[in-house]
Amino acid sequence: MVWCPSGHFKTHRLQPSEWPDKRATKTVPQSFARERAALAVPAFGCLRFAMFSRAFSVLFTAALLTFTGCGKKDASATFPTPAGTAAAPRPQILRLGNGAEPKGIDPQDISGVTEGKIVMALFEGLLTPDPHDLHPLPGVAEAWEISPDGLTYTFHLRANAKWADGEPVTAQDFVESYRRMLSPKFASEYAYLLYNFVVGAKDYYDGRLADFSKVGFAAPDARTLRVTLLNSTPYLLNIIACHQAWDVVPLKVIERFGPPDSKNGAWTKPGNIVGNGPFILKEWLPKQKITVVRNPLYWDAANVKLDAIEFHAIDDATAEEQAFRTGRLDATDTMPLSKIDTYRRDHADTFRIEPYLGIYFYRCNVTKPPLTDKRVRRALALAIDRESIVKNITKGEQLPAYAVSYPGTAGYTPIARLSGDLAEAKRLLAEAGYPEGKGCPPIELLYNTSEAHKAIAEAIQQMWREKLGVEVRLTNQEWAAYQDTQHTHNYQMMRAGWIADYEDPHVFLEIWSSDNGNNDTLWVNADYDRLLQSALAAKTQDERYGIYQKMDAILVDECPVIPIYYYTHVHAISPKVKGWFPTRLDLHPYKYVWLEP
Amino acid sequence: MSDNQPSRSNSPPGAVAAGLSPWQDAWRRLCRNRLALFGGITLLALVLLCYVLGPLFAPSWREQSLSLGSTPPSAAHWLGTDPLGRDLLARLLYGGRISLLVGFVASFVALVIGVTYGAVAGWRGGRTDTLMMRAADILNALPFTIIVILLLVFLKVPMQHFDAWLTGLPGFGSWQGAGKVLVMFAAIGAVEWLTMARIVRGHVMAIKKMEYIEAARALGYGPGRILFRHVLPNALGPIVVYATLTVPAVMMLEAFLSFLGLGVDAPMSSWGTLIKDGAEHMEECWWLLVFPGGIFSLTLFSLNFFGDGLRDALDVRAAKD
Repeated sequence: MVWCPSGHFKTHRLQPSEWPDKRATKTVPQSFARERAALAVPAFGCLRFAMFSRAFSVLFTAALLTFTGCGKKDASATFPTPAGTAAAPRPQILRLGNGAEPKGIDPQDISGVTEGKIVMALFEGLLTPDPHDLHPLPGVAEAWEISPDGLTYTFHLRANAKWADGEPVTAQDFVESYRRMLSPKFASEYAYLLYNFVVGAKDYYDGRLADFSKVGFAAPDARTLRVTLLNSTPYLLNIIACHQAWDVVPLKVIERFGPPDSKNGAWTKPGNIVGNGPFILKEWLPKQKITVVRNPLYWDAANVKLDAIEFHAIDDATAEEQAFRTGRLDATDTMPLSKIDTYRRDHADTFRIEPYLGIYFYRCNVTKPPLTDKRVRRALALAIDRESIVKNITKGEQLPAYAVSYPGTAGYTPIARLSGDLAEAKRLLAEAGYPEGKGCPPIELLYNTSEAHKAIAEAIQQMWREKLGVEVRLTNQEWAAYQDTQHTHNYQMMRAGWIADYEDPHVFLEIWSSDNGNNDTLWVNADYDRLLQSALAAKTQDERYGIYQKMDAILVDECPVIPIYYYTHVHAISPKVKGWFPTRLDLHPYKYVWLEP
Repeated sequence: MSDNQPSRSNSPPGAVAAGLSPWQDAWRRLCRNRLALFGGITLLALVLLCYVLGPLFAPSWREQSLSLGSTPPSAAHWLGTDPLGRDLLARLLYGGRISLLVGFVASFVALVIGVTYGAVAGWRGGRTDTLMMRAADILNALPFTIIVILLLVFLKVPMQHFDAWLTGLPGFGSWQGAGKVLVMFAAIGAVEWLTMARIVRGHVMAIKKMEYIEAARALGYGPGRILFRHVLPNALGPIVVYATLTVPAVMMLEAFLSFLGLGVDAPMSSWGTLIKDGAEHMEECWWLLVFPGGIFSLTLFSLNFFGDGLRDALDVRAAKD
């Protein structure tokens, strides 16, 4: 998307600092340079055309911004090049495109992928993920034991685990962190990653239990943490390794800046924040970048190879790709659809398509007609040509999705499948009272402003119009407004994505229970809620996966969400970046990453 | 544009004897201005193309062929196709219908409001003038985007009713989204008339002191007749020029609103949205930017040349010396 969504769109004039630098200009293809010149001469050549040029300056601003990466200047571009200073090794600075401006970096108050990637550099939990396959490796805990019944986990914390201010990380710190995470007043979106598993945690979260010592977290001494679970949860170690909900936060520092259960985030500002991860926050330039530098007190500091990481906030895929191509980024977060073919053909050395445990779907608000009728939802779901969408629009080897759970998540593949031909869809729609779509109120489909979402929405709109006679109105909102609309349920149908937080099928199914904060469809199904509880209590994996099959079958039958495709992570990364492996959650523990000189 | 003066002095003396009306005079001068003529004819051709030939001959503007994807211009698709496999020519002609409609109707709204308001303020002068112009200042101070957002929020439900009613009428099936376009007319018109009112007011204040106005007064004409028969025709030059310059500005505003999600919704297209989409793909699919950009520029050129020519033609003072 070229049109930089900055507030000063209408009256913006190009400042000298925003002129494309020489490097960027070089990459302008000749044909476009000529086109731009042809438009520019009459527009600026004559005073008579003052209005005319104002009109055009908007277009030019937009066009030029593409070449300057939304006008952002990159200080790191001025670092000495190896050629200039052959003797001194180039500082190891990894520059990552990281999507939108992060909402915050309090590990317990974030829910986005963007924020999670920064938090992973600053904090470390009991366990850390392996860079190849994300299996749990020792983190703050150097060893752990699981009781034979699988209900008690004992973690032994390492002696040299320190906060960035030199204080030791103690078991009590973890208990206090989990108390904050579960505090009813704090209301963390991810509290369910604790309270679904730990004894008494749900009661404390709901306010039925005031005494936190009755919750299943105990610190018998400074270096031992004991966690008591409700049920044997074989995937718990994966969650602890991969998700920031189980990280430790510095309560002493937080209390210096306000009550611990407030979300004000003052403690996370540079200079205030104290972490325990491999990196420390150095600088936060809003809407530009966040810089983290090596933490000398990190227990494994000797093995951290990078000197610094810069997380650049570029939510415009086109601008991000441009920044990558001109050498201002080492890796991008996404790839514009229009560039995929070019990269596949001409830049195979930097182009990556990696598996990514996530699903792209349309969320139905089941309280708004005609989506109150499951036959309508099913008919709509059946009339989407998913193969055509992944082949012709997304183009990144995505899998068409006919169920909600990602196939092959920790050995689980849903059997249930959206099946039925167009005739079936038409029959369902007719049964619901809308034969050939007649009388069916138009459906308003909301997407967050982006080229890719728009293309998919337009394609599906046309499929529904042609095949079912159902009219769809498309509306788009920018990211923040779109999230508000989702949480206030003020929509009829909206595009959404869900990325796994850990590798277990549970992650795709738990969010559709009626009490889950991430459900947002207002869909309530008592059977489904009961099945989720029995899955948590299941003794064996076979029993558990059997229950998940029933849950997937309910989702496919009821269609509170319309699955479209399973994600892949399509992006570009410089061949200089080493130690960066394709992992299914797109997590890349930074301490293993280095840059080839 | 005004440097073909010498040709005027060569006009046959018989023409004066025949007694041309001011309008005939203006028409002759317009016809003599090649660029203006070219601009006018191009505009007319574009309008014909978009409104008459487009719906008749072009393929559907929303019919997709996902497997086709974006293809360069070919015999089947003269201007190529976009990434969803839609014919660009059809979308361009359809977009022209919306862009030109918004451009002309909103400018016309601005013209009518602005000229009336400015003329009344300038003619009455004194306290009325102060009150009216301060009111305009206040309106000018309101941020445009907020006005439009407020209008769209308040009019959302009536807009949808209007849409449902309109698409239900025979022959209007594809007019979905017309309600929003109407609100855009209103919103843009409501903002663009302010400058026009100021320009007209200034000219009216100057003209009302002229001897011929005094003469008209002495003859006992009422203020309405003097204003519309004697004052405004003399201020027509700047009004016409400003009006023709308003049209491209309005078309840009429409593109801006569409970008914010307040203008036309996908899959409808306007030239603004087509240029925006084209810019996203310019490195791979040049045709998606070049054709919409080209036709948009052509329209703006035509409007400017035509407006200039009209001003020269209608400027009585320039003609009589």
